[in-house]
Amino acid sequence: MLRYILIRLALLIPILLGVSLVVFILLRTGENDPALSYLRLSNIPPTDHALAEARTALGLDLPLPEQYLNWLGRAVRLDFGISYVTGAPVTRHLLHYLPNTLYLAAVSLVLTVVLSLPLGIIGAVWKNRWPDHLTRALAYIGVSTPSFWLGFVLILVFSVKLGWLPSMGIGGWRYVLLPALSVALMSMCINMRLIRGSMLEQMHSRPVLYAKIRGVMPGRILGGHVLRNSLIPVVTALGMHIGEILGGAVVAEVVFSWPGVGRYAVSAIMNRDFPVMQCFILMMTLIFVLCNLLTDILYAFIDPRIHLETSNNA
Amino acid sequence: MRRFFAFIVITCIVTLAASAQEGGVIVYSYPANAGPINPHMYSPNQMYAQEMVYEPLVSLGDDGRIHPCLAESWEVSDDGLVYIFHLRRDVRFSDGAVFDAHVASRNFDHILANRARHAWLELANVITAHEAVDEFTFRLTLTTPYYPTLEDLSLPRPFRFLSPNAFPDDGITRDGIKTPVGTGPWQVAAMRLGEYDRFVPNDHYWGKKPVPAGVLVKVIPDPVSRALALQTGEIDLVLGQGQIGFDTFAAMRADPAYATGVSDTVGTMAVAINSARAPTDDLRVRQAIQHMVDKDALIGGVFLGAQPRADFLFAPSVPYADIGLKPYGYDLEQAGRLLDDAGWRLEPGQTVRMRDGAPLVIDYCFVGNDAAQKAAAEVLQGMAARVGMLLNLVGEEEDSYYRRQKDGNFGMIVNPTWGPPFEPHAMLGSMRSASHADYQAQLGLPMKADLDAAITRVMRSVDETERAALYRDILTTLHDQAIYLPLHYAALLSVHRPDRLEGVHFGPGKSKYPFEDFQKKD
Repeated sequence: MLRYILIRLALLIPILLGVSLVVFILLRTGENDPALSYLRLSNIPPTDHALAEARTALGLDLPLPEQYLNWLGRAVRLDFGISYVTGAPVTRHLLHYLPNTLYLAAVSLVLTVVLSLPLGIIGAVWKNRWPDHLTRALAYIGVSTPSFWLGFVLILVFSVKLGWLPSMGIGGWRYVLLPALSVALMSMCINMRLIRGSMLEQMHSRPVLYAKIRGVMPGRILGGHVLRNSLIPVVTALGMHIGEILGGAVVAEVVFSWPGVGRYAVSAIMNRDFPVMQCFILMMTLIFVLCNLLTDILYAFIDPRIHLETSNNA
Repeated sequence: MRRFFAFIVITCIVTLAASAQEGGVIVYSYPANAGPINPHMYSPNQMYAQEMVYEPLVSLGDDGRIHPCLAESWEVSDDGLVYIFHLRRDVRFSDGAVFDAHVASRNFDHILANRARHAWLELANVITAHEAVDEFTFRLTLTTPYYPTLEDLSLPRPFRFLSPNAFPDDGITRDGIKTPVGTGPWQVAAMRLGEYDRFVPNDHYWGKKPVPAGVLVKVIPDPVSRALALQTGEIDLVLGQGQIGFDTFAAMRADPAYATGVSDTVGTMAVAINSARAPTDDLRVRQAIQHMVDKDALIGGVFLGAQPRADFLFAPSVPYADIGLKPYGYDLEQAGRLLDDAGWRLEPGQTVRMRDGAPLVIDYCFVGNDAAQKAAAEVLQGMAARVGMLLNLVGEEEDSYYRRQKDGNFGMIVNPTWGPPFEPHAMLGSMRSASHADYQAQLGLPMKADLDAAITRVMRSVDETERAALYRDILTTLHDQAIYLPLHYAALLSVHRPDRLEGVHFGPGKSKYPFEDFQKKD
């Protein structure tokens, strides 16, 4: 198992290198001109002389491979350069904002699990009866609602009309509820339907049938057999939901003025702040890949068969 | 027992005082943090914060004229080369340091050590010497007369003054300052990245003390979120340019729970028309564009009446700009006649005019993700179609848009003016620089060289009559040559709840927010 984890961690290196190369090339193709962005964001008139100076200062007059290697050399030391907008080191600001985003994502993930599990079970146990229809309707609404729109609706209802929760900023637990709910709703609905489907499949499996024949209590069958075996696809989905939640957090952070990396990145994208964009994409790739790895490891704990298989293969 | 009661009374007084102070804090919002608030630098230092913390020698008043500020009076030599400022003697920085001519001179040392960075501002190029004549007399010497010296000195940056205790130990202020400490009515109390900046009154301020106990500026990037925060009471007011959508503003204007305001003009939303590129190299085509636009319909439809209609490049309130020019009226027939005269014919059954087998197509360039620019472009496209002109909308990212401005690769391009106190002198001055859309748009004019020479001459003129005559010539030429299509004058918008705040008004210029006059209601 340890060997498997180490191999997966080692695979991170080519993945990150590949992503960094693709991002670097994409940002420098087409109409993008980092020197022009730099001048514009610094309020410097983009004369030919100023452009030439900026290109030299930013190392943009070097051949592309050399630029990439220079950037990479600094990046491995966690130096992602200076933001064109703030003039501050990118790493410092991203690390400042990252805990807030992880906090929001973690609460969203907890909401996703805590809400989808009982609703999924309700849908499975009362299949094709009104509780199931209700959760199905909720799922339709949840997956069809864009999170930014939902965010504004939540603010309108819970902040403007009812006055229960703050509409913006960061603080105590009351501040995180609305943004987390707007981020979690879609994942929660997908997960709820997945749990329902998976449980229904398990309900018709042989071990459950035999348990029923043995006269095992229905509650024990549901908890010990059906639910536990239903969790494997759910864990897979949760791994994917983390990416979805982080993507959703980007939007929610703007709507709820949440000081996280997503909002920082949106501002960078709007402003063509290249150093921030590069760092953000790499950081998100790292988090996403690590989450996938964590999902794989969780499999092994939930289902020992996977553990054996992967260990043997490795 | 007596001590116990005394304790209770003191506790109550302290609590009441604290709550009174808390109640007096105005909560405002801005899309980003105020930045390091370095008085001598630009982005990411926000101008509104620089205006709150620092002061200039002379300032722009509500009447658009220059007024004393840190300098209580000044003299200009007859040749226009020497400016002597007599400084106020009662000015201290918020850290208690005294402001005098030596501190002023030290600030100028740092500003001019970074002269290349300020080269866009003509004053930075023409200052040849600065010195403290005595403790409260400061002298500026120029290489050549430059009449808008006082206007340039009143700008939010870079000619403002930092405390001697806040200068960096090594290097110049370009590379950073220790702390933002100025002589203005406010001082910085706290800054939290991505969340807020908090300002409190400067106890040493020489002028009228601010009414509120503080200003808390929350970071809210999205205009809709900002409007919702105003509705929930999490902020007290919205004030500025682009801070709120026009539709939201219109809705709040109709709601008696809110008080709204539209400022005087702070610039012009104009479109530059390229005289160096066909088909707009023909004066008649440029004139036809002026006549084909129904500005009232545009302003009503896109800006919901919240921005005043513009007929000239500069509003008549701008110095030297009220010269009685005749506006181009909305007249489709006249537009059609002009195009006919230029050889652009609309054949029966066709929707686009043709000349020598080529259609009348003009690239209209704007920033693609700017909702107001995009909506205006679409409306203009519809208006152009009525006279058989095809506006090819080119909505791009800002980089591409600015490259087009710089390269002259446009038929028409959105080109807002800079607003007071940059108008008319600094804006006209920039028209001589090839990196500006104005220069590129004017390049095809037969009198371009004369125009540039006149702009240079007006900056150097020390004779008021000659200056006014030169401005009249320049602005008349630009108007007659139909180089700009002015759409609307830009105005700041404000919204607040009158039951929470009173005394709200606009300051001079677009970055001066006079929080010190606002009063929070309990």
